Amino acid sequence: MPRHELVVATVLATMLTTAACGSPGKSNETEDSGTGPIKIAVVDAQSGQLSSLGAWESKGAKLAVGEWNKAGGINGRQIQLDIFDDQGDPTVGTNLARKVASQKYIAVIGTAESAVTLAMAPTLQQAKIPNITSGQSPAMPALGSPFLFLNGPTSTTYDETLSKYIVDTKGIKKIAMITNNGSYGKGEHDAFLKTLTARQVTPLADQVVTTDQKDFSAALTAIRAKKPELIFLGAEEVESGLIVKQARDLGITATFAGAAPQGTPVFADTAGTKNVEGTIVSTPYLSNDSSEASRKFAAAYKAAYGEDAELHGAKAYDGTNIFLTALKSSGVATGDKLAEAIRGTKYSGLLGDFAFDETGVGIFATQIGVIKSGKLTAAS
Amino acid sequence: MQVFLQTLVGGLSLGAIYALVAMGFSLVYRTMGLVNFAHGDVVMIGAYVASTFYLSVKLPFIPAMAIAIVVTGLVGVVIEFVLRPLENKDFDLMLIGTIGFGIVLQALAILIWGATGRAVKNPVQTGPIDILGARVRAYDLVVLAVTAVAMVLLVLFLQRTKRGVAMQAVAMDHEAATAVGIHVGRSNAMAFAIGAGLAALAGGLAGPLLYVAPTMGGSLGIKGFAAAILGGFGNMPGAIVGGLTIGILDSFSAGHFQGYSDLVTFLVFTVAIMIRPTGIFGERTVNRA
Repeated sequence: MPRHELVVATVLATMLTTAACGSPGKSNETEDSGTGPIKIAVVDAQSGQLSSLGAWESKGAKLAVGEWNKAGGINGRQIQLDIFDDQGDPTVGTNLARKVASQKYIAVIGTAESAVTLAMAPTLQQAKIPNITSGQSPAMPALGSPFLFLNGPTSTTYDETLSKYIVDTKGIKKIAMITNNGSYGKGEHDAFLKTLTARQVTPLADQVVTTDQKDFSAALTAIRAKKPELIFLGAEEVESGLIVKQARDLGITATFAGAAPQGTPVFADTAGTKNVEGTIVSTPYLSNDSSEASRKFAAAYKAAYGEDAELHGAKAYDGTNIFLTALKSSGVATGDKLAEAIRGTKYSGLLGDFAFDETGVGIFATQIGVIKSGKLTAAS
Repeated sequence: MQVFLQTLVGGLSLGAIYALVAMGFSLVYRTMGLVNFAHGDVVMIGAYVASTFYLSVKLPFIPAMAIAIVVTGLVGVVIEFVLRPLENKDFDLMLIGTIGFGIVLQALAILIWGATGRAVKNPVQTGPIDILGARVRAYDLVVLAVTAVAMVLLVLFLQRTKRGVAMQAVAMDHEAATAVGIHVGRSNAMAFAIGAGLAALAGGLAGPLLYVAPTMGGSLGIKGFAAAILGGFGNMPGAIVGGLTIGILDSFSAGHFQGYSDLVTFLVFTVAIMIRPTGIFGERTVNRA
């Protein structure tokens, strides 16, 4: 009997040791095999409240990859795009980052949510996998990771342009703020408040709501009492749509203003087209009609997916194109060399001309649009 | 004063939704002794079905709701049928089975309707009414009225009809119930069906207030469950009181504590339950361990 147990114990110990030695995700450099498809991962919310962002991003990325693959891929190799669902959850995102690293993907497109991108950044930095994100929180460039790139401006840029239009051009000084306490909302709150302070404007109200909140009566009644001319929204699409809907029900007639989420159809639908009339939006991608390139993109998008293109799809399209351009120019490099190649890529995209600085930001300007009859048009 | 009144009104409308969800939880618990953890996701299915018939098929709101209640009731019957082998034998496994069903329902919703979700138009076209300086949406009054009627009907069913009384008998002692000729399986199926119907009512009514998405069952389920426990788990009027209390509590803590409102709401709930574990109405019908 004792000898039998000894044998079992030895076998178990051997198995455990082998398993420990072979644990995945410990490589410090992701090597590309040199042949076969080029593996790029798209990590985005495909379920949950933020899933519309993930859906748009994946479509934009797939469109870009499809065009490159049709033109012959890179150095004769096809590009393989695999989509991972992070459910809008930073914990899931971190696990996916480890998975992506262990499965030898050489680049990551995504995510659209700043909180998840921030959670994934340390793992991707350690694995030396470049990542281009649609998030706009200034906390991301502040990380200083040489592998993190943004395919759009940061909240600082969005809000500076917005403030300039609202305060300097339009002369509106009675402004109230309502933001949520998530990563995006907090970034927007701090960035916009900074631009207001720089212009010696104090907001009449500064209400913070939770990301899950469904009833905003208390916050909105407090804002209504202060009689603002304009209300700044710092929340994602659905939540800000609910805020606008309830605000109008409460009899608030002030104009709303915000950044990227306010330019989406989800925001307008949730709030009700009538309620968002006149909303001021700061965005680098005004409409599909703004240039020849955007018209071509929108037509291809519509043909492939049967729906209208918008900002997040355009961002992902630009970001994916930049990565693919860098892959081509560097001869399918990985790790540090790929990151350098991306930083050196000058790309003229749908959002503008990209020129990355050391923090990974490539675009430094947005435009102002106003929602008229549910559609975003350039402000006069 | 105006802020107080308006916050109260805001809390009442969501509170009515929580009350309906709580009634569904309490009904299944009262008649089967089971906490149905899929309930929140059944609410979501109800919301989707109602909004599909309302938006895509373009039926008027009330027929769309009626169809949603029937369809979702069938979903409830299916859940009970699948879990029937575990009934009265392994309680804990049945509980876990409902958690599994919740996951299945969410995945089904994403398969059928996509992950993005949809906004539902307000079916009541009249503008908000001014009551004592607070603006009350006409739709909120409709929701409150429907919830009150649903509660009255449910209490009458449980106390005055043979089937309703039979359902409660099964919960008290299922062997004795079988001995007097009550078909336990069918009684449980009806309980699940009615519970699911209540969930569909809650989901369909919540659609125009919120945003219909596959994850909407999460927070509605948790708050509805808390509401049911607060009022006395298994007690119908308790579910209403609990629901409205949680709704109003939520609204006021959002007003005073802003970003920390969830924390405060559940802290107050925890203290209340610690003081009185059987809830406001002190419900003790079910003798499950």
